[in-house]
Amino acid sequence: MEEKEITVNVKKYNEKDGVFWKSYRVKADRYTQMTEVLRRIKTEQDPALSYRASCHMAVCGSCSMKINGIPSLACKTMAFKVMDEKGEINLESMDYYTEVRDLIPDVDTFYDRMYKVMPRLYADEEVIEDKEEQRMLPEEQKEVWKFQGCIYCGLCVSACPSVKEDEKFLGPAAHAKGYRYIADDRDTKREERIDMLMDSAWRCTSCYMCYEVCPQDVQPVIAIKKTRSHLDDYRGPETDVITMARKHDNAILELINDTGKIKESSLYLKTFGFGEAIKDSINMLKSGKIKYAFTKDSDVKNIDEVKKIMGDKK
Amino acid sequence: MEKKEYDAVILGGGLAGLMAANIVASAGFSVAVVSKVFPTRSHSAAAEGGIAAYIKGNSDPNDDPDFMSYDEVKGGDYLVDQDAAELLSAKSGEIVHILDAWGAPFNRQPDGRIALRYFGGQTYPRTRFVADKTGMALLHTLFEHATGFKNIDFYNEYYVLDIVKEGKDVNGLVAMEMKTMDPIYLKSRALLIAAGGLGMLYKHTTNSYINTGDGYGIALRSGVALKDPEFVQFHPTGLYPSDILISEAARAEGAILKNNKGERFMARYAPHKFDLAPRDIVSRSMTIEIREGRGFEGGYLGLDLTHLGKEYIMERLSLAYDAAKTFSGVDATEEMIPVRPAQHYFMGGIDVDITGSNHDLNGIFAAGEAACVSVHGANRLGSNSLLETLVYGRETGDSMVNFLKSHKNVESNSNVDGIINTAYSYIKRESGEHFGTLLNELRDIMWENVGIFRDEKKLEEAVRKISDLRKRSVNMYVTDKSSNYNTEVFNAFETRNMLDVAFAISSAALNRKETRGAHYRDDYPKRDDDNWMKHTLAYLGDSEIKMSYKPVNFTRWKPEPRVY
Repeated sequence: MEEKEITVNVKKYNEKDGVFWKSYRVKADRYTQMTEVLRRIKTEQDPALSYRASCHMAVCGSCSMKINGIPSLACKTMAFKVMDEKGEINLESMDYYTEVRDLIPDVDTFYDRMYKVMPRLYADEEVIEDKEEQRMLPEEQKEVWKFQGCIYCGLCVSACPSVKEDEKFLGPAAHAKGYRYIADDRDTKREERIDMLMDSAWRCTSCYMCYEVCPQDVQPVIAIKKTRSHLDDYRGPETDVITMARKHDNAILELINDTGKIKESSLYLKTFGFGEAIKDSINMLKSGKIKYAFTKDSDVKNIDEVKKIMGDKK
Repeated sequence: MEKKEYDAVILGGGLAGLMAANIVASAGFSVAVVSKVFPTRSHSAAAEGGIAAYIKGNSDPNDDPDFMSYDEVKGGDYLVDQDAAELLSAKSGEIVHILDAWGAPFNRQPDGRIALRYFGGQTYPRTRFVADKTGMALLHTLFEHATGFKNIDFYNEYYVLDIVKEGKDVNGLVAMEMKTMDPIYLKSRALLIAAGGLGMLYKHTTNSYINTGDGYGIALRSGVALKDPEFVQFHPTGLYPSDILISEAARAEGAILKNNKGERFMARYAPHKFDLAPRDIVSRSMTIEIREGRGFEGGYLGLDLTHLGKEYIMERLSLAYDAAKTFSGVDATEEMIPVRPAQHYFMGGIDVDITGSNHDLNGIFAAGEAACVSVHGANRLGSNSLLETLVYGRETGDSMVNFLKSHKNVESNSNVDGIINTAYSYIKRESGEHFGTLLNELRDIMWENVGIFRDEKKLEEAVRKISDLRKRSVNMYVTDKSSNYNTEVFNAFETRNMLDVAFAISSAALNRKETRGAHYRDDYPKRDDDNWMKHTLAYLGDSEIKMSYKPVNFTRWKPEPRVY
């Protein structure tokens, strides 16, 4: 098999020396995973290089890091696919988490987010006492499994802009986990879960970074949207975010009913109010994006049919 | 040095350790789970195909637990303790029920009951599964369940150095926090070793990087026996060239192994079960095919899924599809997946009885791949490792509860300082042997000489070389002197464990002069029930492995020729 020598630049860190970059030349072929590249560096060149790795098949979530700036699992990344034309690859510790050593960040904050959402099934007493067998339809299993696929790798949280800005936002992975139990009919705490997750769910900006970086295609942002759809069942405190959410929901309903469309500028006004809209208009003016606020939408033709459907919904 | 006291300390946060932790904590005792990784990184996550279970009312109408036990006994080439196999089968349904109640999202039948499929060596289909990531789904279920207990403390990313004991009484263990390199003494009356397997001993393995035989190493050094260490399983379908596991589920769902002539060669070796014969048989057949020139260039064979159809492959075998695509650049819906055998599982392990108790020391237990309850005998069947971790994790948890109820605290910690001093000696030494050199040599020796086909010459050489490596390892040193995540030091500790268990495996393999299950001797190609129907017990001596024996427990099945 054809081998090539590649250059791996690693952003290293330790308490004594602080941050510094170190380069290694390693032989690889088209089947060489980045975890194997790291293993070769460690056993043959620099035994002091520190990183996490376990299963090397993308199910354990250990080897999360930035590869050429992109949050990735090292095991799922093939060296030849990511090297540039000079054969170079850059490795760094994940964003957001505190650096501890080389490619090993402190991810305890990630685990704490997961623990907050009661990540376990609370089955019916009859089932626990073995008096009754649980049934679960295949479609429901598919939905649960989709969001249970999270491997705790922490990449989505490291890539999420909202967790950095908003400490009340639980983050993408915790929402996927939380929704996984809402979707599970075997669980007895759905109301409690909806109350616990709803405020946070509306703090997501729907930027889809989590969707992009998730190595398991869990799609946390979709879990967040699905959680939001339970807004009418929410019984918790009326926080500012919840108030905004209700306005947003109502505005969408009204807009579709009246115009057959989600008119973005009207939706914005109805959700956030005039004051907030003025502030953001100034920001849009500054960034040259104000023209989008005045984009003219065409009208929907058969609006009566839309109203009929909406009437049925109500 | 920090000291913490618990009723029970559990080494390992995989399925066996977590199942026992849940049981012991439910009984009200305090538990510490110590692992060198965060629990969901444990190798249990890598189990793919499923968990075998006979569920009354939800199994093949002709099946019953006796067929299941018989399959285990025959699959294990009669080195199975039949009482242990019967218990495994009898409790399999309960275990799946418990996991379901704790939230495991098993694949379902249209009526909502748990689905099932065939696996190698099964008379009737009884494997339950969550797509082909069953281990991961069950591990997360158990871990998340365990985080709900207030009396379970997790010591994640703590490396365990050695067992603390006074005479024959176990008194906990000494571990080192990897982040800070600070030692901690975790004192307990009961100690469970559930530290998993040892794939990293072999150059080609499907196992995680973390599978370095730590549990076996510390057990051997404390005077605890390994049972049947000569039995190492090689899985037929390691992906070429990365050795990533392609699940047996692929063949269970209809995939076929083919040589470079396009022949379904398993028809010649196992005329009834074909590709679904037990793993030792398929791996040997593949090695013969490759050796006799019927493999593809580079030394692999083809696993053909193409006739199964894209939709079916995507739904049932998505991990196999993804792995082939990502790691070998092959689209399994259109081409054959390149595969070759690789080390996969260790049938041997810490000698325990049917309750998970070891009798070399008081208060020591073992479960999962770390243990040898003798349910797998000389060869494990697919879908039985997950089952064993859970059934015997639970049984062992119950035994620990009984032990804790009747045993008082022993106050002593005489060997704690010695353990720490030995550990620090690797860091203090400025020159000597580097672990990387020893490790690479070891992995080559094990693969070449203690692999799928063995003979006296190869094994004698292995024992001699490993003995030599062990002598050299006394002077191991590390270049990294820092005190945050000094992974080089931990690699050195792992190497020490690997050398100790490799010494036991090669010595026992040399000692057993017959062929049985996964232990194939070119120079003794027949099973020899007259002389070798017995378990090996291997103890670590000063410079040799001391061998003794233990009878196999029979209940109802007499040895017969093993034909598939």
